[in-house]
Amino acid sequence: MASRDVVHYNTPLQRVLSVLSVVFVIFYLIWTLLPFVIMFVSSFKDLLEAFKLPAVGDWAGIGVFFEFTPTLKHYQTLFAENNFSRYMLNSLIAAGGSAVISVIFGSLAAYSLSRVDFRGKSDLFFWIISTRMAPVVAVMVPLFAIFRSLDLVGTLPGLILAYTTFNLPFAIWILKGFFDNVPYGIEEAQMVDGATRFQAFRSILPLVAPGIGAFIVLCILFAWNDFLFAAIIGSGGAKTLPVATRELVQPQNIQWGAIMAAGVVTTAPMMLLGLVIRKYLVTGLTMGAVKE
Amino acid sequence: MTETLTGIDMSVRAPEDRFRARKVSTEVEARPLSAALPPPGRLNPAARKAYYFYLMAPAIALLAFISLYPFFWLIVMAFQKGDMGAVEWVGFKNFIDLASDDRFLSGWVLLFRYSAMCLFLQVSIGVLLAVVVNGSRYERFLVTALLMPMMMAPAVAGLLWLFLYNGTFGWYHWIFHSLGLLGSGSILSSAKTAMYAIVLVDVWQWTPLITLIALAGLKRVPRDQIEANMVDGASPFRNFFAIVLPNLYPVLLIAVLLRFMDNFRFIDHILVLTGGGPANATKILPVYLFEVAFKFFDLGRGAAIALVLLVVTIILGKILVGVFDRPTAGGR
Amino acid sequence: MATVTIRNVWKYYGQTPAVKDLNVTCPDGSFVSILGPSGCGKSSTMRMIAGLEHISAGDILFDNQRINDLAPKDRDVAMVFENYALYPHKTVFENIANPLRLRGTADATIKERVTGAARLLEIAHLLERRPHELSGGQKQRVAIGRAIVREPKLFLFDEPIAHLDAKLRAHMRGEIKHLQRNLGTTMIYVTHDQLEALSMADFIAVMHDGELQQWGTPSEIFNKPVNAWVAGFVGEPAMNFLTCDLKRRGDDVVLSHHNFDIPLLPGQVRQLNGAAQAGIARMGVRPDAMTVSMTKPSEAAIQGEIFVNELLGGDMLVEVQLADSRIRVKTTPEFEGKPGEICYLTVNRDKWHVFDAGDGHAYF
Repeated sequence: MASRDVVHYNTPLQRVLSVLSVVFVIFYLIWTLLPFVIMFVSSFKDLLEAFKLPAVGDWAGIGVFFEFTPTLKHYQTLFAENNFSRYMLNSLIAAGGSAVISVIFGSLAAYSLSRVDFRGKSDLFFWIISTRMAPVVAVMVPLFAIFRSLDLVGTLPGLILAYTTFNLPFAIWILKGFFDNVPYGIEEAQMVDGATRFQAFRSILPLVAPGIGAFIVLCILFAWNDFLFAAIIGSGGAKTLPVATRELVQPQNIQWGAIMAAGVVTTAPMMLLGLVIRKYLVTGLTMGAVKE
Repeated sequence: MTETLTGIDMSVRAPEDRFRARKVSTEVEARPLSAALPPPGRLNPAARKAYYFYLMAPAIALLAFISLYPFFWLIVMAFQKGDMGAVEWVGFKNFIDLASDDRFLSGWVLLFRYSAMCLFLQVSIGVLLAVVVNGSRYERFLVTALLMPMMMAPAVAGLLWLFLYNGTFGWYHWIFHSLGLLGSGSILSSAKTAMYAIVLVDVWQWTPLITLIALAGLKRVPRDQIEANMVDGASPFRNFFAIVLPNLYPVLLIAVLLRFMDNFRFIDHILVLTGGGPANATKILPVYLFEVAFKFFDLGRGAAIALVLLVVTIILGKILVGVFDRPTAGGR
Repeated sequence: MATVTIRNVWKYYGQTPAVKDLNVTCPDGSFVSILGPSGCGKSSTMRMIAGLEHISAGDILFDNQRINDLAPKDRDVAMVFENYALYPHKTVFENIANPLRLRGTADATIKERVTGAARLLEIAHLLERRPHELSGGQKQRVAIGRAIVREPKLFLFDEPIAHLDAKLRAHMRGEIKHLQRNLGTTMIYVTHDQLEALSMADFIAVMHDGELQQWGTPSEIFNKPVNAWVAGFVGEPAMNFLTCDLKRRGDDVVLSHHNFDIPLLPGQVRQLNGAAQAGIARMGVRPDAMTVSMTKPSEAAIQGEIFVNELLGGDMLVEVQLADSRIRVKTTPEFEGKPGEICYLTVNRDKWHVFDAGDGHAYF
């Protein structure tokens, strides 16, 4: 047994450092969270109130930020006039569809890749992972040409397929790491007991199920937050939330209140999901290279 | 391959079949031992492999359709000009043109300058933050707060910051102005400062990722090495540089490469904030590619740029995978 | 070199006490082993001495100087860790040189001292290698080299050879003991292996559940355990325990069990000090303090049935089934009894023990 952390002995230097680090953390927290606060509060402000600023250099005047009467009219605008419920549904279908496809196909492939060795496996693997890492714009050039010839541009199936280009390799790559951690001995024991290979595979699924669940969520997150694919491939018939939000910026009239409200609507669900799968986030966001 | 299937089928029809097999072997006692072994499909290595290839096949086929096939298309397109039916073969002209394309060349320069600034700030702030947060009583809360920006769609983040940077009512503009960092013009309106604006947004969104990675790395620094060094006579400072940092390099390398590749990948916030302007000051290569391909619909030239960009990414990816596979990375 | 005094030391992790009111004095130049099972507080004790854990209450003194608030670097101790804790990115030379470098020793001196230490430990040919190129035994020597390269007041060894294979462990026991004798530096050596403690230490502190059970020389610990727990923990094969009745029979006190009635020696009766002369007690006898035979040697012999024989190379261990339990006795491989046969055990009463049935303390 040992203390959780390496012990420190109190020296004057240590004390100075700990004060400095507290200050640093507080500044960083403000810097990180302030944009959210402004977005959230502004979404409930009338435009004139949202535009109120203290005079330049008047630090004491920051209080004007809180001088407003809350209004829900921006949210009403979004859903009543701008059809946001439709876009939300599009986002959900596109993100969810590609996530489910990716994880189902991906887990089968990941399982096999984890259990079998063959020549060229590392090349196959590299191809899979580089598909995921390729610049979105570069991928989109040929994809756009192909989808256009197949009449997939502007449709939800097209968008689902487009999202699968990054979610499927992601799922294979990450889930293989999961299956690698399940000892082959479990399946061997199952097969000795009389299970078929496929039954053996099913028997280890519960072991990786939490991970698979988390990665469905991560796939949804990546797809939900996408802008480029949605703007080009989904343009027209399959408008998603980020694109619809962007379209509130019009040359003559930027509807800032509605944009802030749309930001809240787009971001809040993902934040909640992010918290739910917090344990897997670092693994997911680093392509499995770093585990918490 | 059919062998596998029979192998599976045999065992699916489990009880009666097995029973029958046993009966046969007792009747014919003189049979060689091998006859008592399980049917070939079960243990035969080739058949075992084939089974796994079946499971793999759907994913590989789908991936081939959405990645390999487009890649060949991209190569074809790079040697063509025109669009939709009216294409003509132009050989290497698209590539040759790139060599004299100022936007293409400055796109690379800007991309690297942008990445360098982002990475420098993210790594230095991120690691410092990780060191401070590590072991703090409020670690869980702080980490949760840090996660927030990463959950936001980059395009939405761009729009939010467009609001914050606004020259007449943006709060961040007011802060910069009040601090004397900026004149009355918006940070986005000047070619001198626009690059910093997009860097700041990237730093805001993604520094936490570096922090989380560094934090995971810090947790894995062998504690007994730190303690051995303390007993050997090291101060906490020396300990950090002699033990902690060297142990952190592998994960940091991964973090830097990941972020570097993401700088190629994600341009959403730039498209929203500046669209590459003002005066092309933020037109990093992927943004320029977006413009060529999807604003001017010059798909041939776009394909050529995309191909070059892909080759560079593949090289970076090769390096990254090499780092992944190093045992010290502690990854897979 | 230093005398280490641990005075009323407590260690708490949250609400859980790991070390309870520990009092120990390690004489200057002695080899002291802290012995106990995992979780007994022995490592916490060592880490408090090293300065790697805060001391919750009490004092630790080096030569009468209180060191509670000194950082490890100011305590002038050297430590060998269970997992060696070598710096993977440094060569063997730099690993050993590290404590000297941190003290700003001149390069020439460092070279001399490191090669000296390496020669002593027979690893001079490995100096340019890195830890991952070394075997377990070599890593362990490097870790010891790092400890002896500067002359500290005190050596702290935390299960340093627990991860070596059995043969190497036996070899290193001798080497470490020899090294400590030659250097004459006070050594505190934590282990869970009673054989290591018995064979190496001048003094042993036996700990259990955070409490010091017994302090003494190896022979005191082995021959005069203060309680049943120490008696059971030390010695391999372990001591046999039987619950018996103490009965007065004329002038004698008899230890009575379903299978036997054996009178105590007169001196032992006195040690029972009246109060405990009747009632339940636990008899303890080591497997080598008994003999086994197939014919009944005397009336005081214990009759039982052979359960199983285990041949341990030079010895034979016979497990004998009594009415309510089994006990083990050591004999020679020539022993001819077969499982299921009746045999007779004779106890060497000079070497048996009787423990209180309640708190387990030893009467003798």
